Amino acid sequence: MSKRHERKSAAKVVRKQLAAERRRKRTMWVSIAAVAVLVIAGLIGWGVYQSQRSNSGPLVAPASATTTTGETVGTGPVQIQIYEDFICPFCKQFEDNAGPAINNLVSQGKVTVTYNTVAFLDPASTTQYSTRSAAAAACAADGGKFKPYHDALYAQQPAEGTAGLSDSQLISIGTGLGLDQGSFSQCVNSGRYEPWVGSVTDAAAKAGVTGTPTVKVNNQVIPNPTADTVVAAVNAA
Amino acid sequence: MSVTTLTRSLTWPGIRPWLGTLARLGLAAVWLFAGGAKVGDLGGSGRAVNAYQVMPFEVAKVIGAALPFVEIALGVLLVVGLATRAAAAVSSLLLLVFIAGISSAWARGLSIDCGCFGSGGQLAAGQSPSYAPEIARDIGFLVLAAFLLVWPRTRLSVDRWLESTT
Repeated sequence: MSKRHERKSAAKVVRKQLAAERRRKRTMWVSIAAVAVLVIAGLIGWGVYQSQRSNSGPLVAPASATTTTGETVGTGPVQIQIYEDFICPFCKQFEDNAGPAINNLVSQGKVTVTYNTVAFLDPASTTQYSTRSAAAAACAADGGKFKPYHDALYAQQPAEGTAGLSDSQLISIGTGLGLDQGSFSQCVNSGRYEPWVGSVTDAAAKAGVTGTPTVKVNNQVIPNPTADTVVAAVNAA
Repeated sequence: MSVTTLTRSLTWPGIRPWLGTLARLGLAAVWLFAGGAKVGDLGGSGRAVNAYQVMPFEVAKVIGAALPFVEIALGVLLVVGLATRAAAAVSSLLLLVFIAGISSAWARGLSIDCGCFGSGGQLAAGQSPSYAPEIARDIGFLVLAAFLLVWPRTRLSVDRWLESTT
């Protein structure tokens, strides 16, 4: 092989090495940029979530509720905590099955029932019916009609995947129960208790409630809540 | 197509970049669906993370809000084929975390939906969890990610276009 030929092939090797080095560097920077994009995407998600929260207005609790727990019915010594969502079909089943028995326990003065009306299933309607209906029930609580309103919402439960009842339908159910047209409709239309529904929902999740209906008697979860199991747990408490 | 080009394109080095393209687009679809299903309900996504009971609620909320956006960004990177190896590495990592999470929920006897493609949280009475199919599905996705981690050079990708410009 001639000297010239050797120099040529050596130069070729060097060029190849330089090109490989450039490629390696570029791949590295592209990878770093891609990971940075992923991190930024995550931060954007957190930011969007935060702004959704803060846009929803001040947190005020309705009558007979706290900022993190639902409306209470009755004054008995045994505590029943019910976590339910107005669009959840299993909650309606539970109400149909156990509602009358729980009403009896309340009227016998045995229990205090807290109805934590959570909005786990907002994506199950196209209009966030879970939040809107729970907020409307809170408006009814201010008018002293929480329980009848709650029962009326289950009697007219919309199917999952639909738009649910409209705000005006929610209002007419309330006025049908004798709630004041002016203040009730104002409360529903302004979404006064929507931040409160979010707060009760968060508190429920934080307490380890992951689905609806969840029923606790004196803080013990009832595995398969029915009229029989709830009454038995109350009598045993 | 002549016989020589046909036989060359049917060899492993000929097919592999196209298989890579399929894997890349398949994995991209997984992330875009998973992220898209959750992005409309960030609060619910946080509750689904919290249902695994492996971190405090406040942390679960942050993860739940961030995750759908990360998944969508990963999907976009994979669709266009940019930084394929890095995207495949992050995908593998996420899938391993998901598999670990589902396995641990299973081991602890929790009764939850994995929340992989939206919904999530506890199952209604009478529903039983389907951990084994969920894990099998994630392992399938992990195979796609591993393929791209080992062979990140795929056809119809920005990576390939960048390569050709130097």
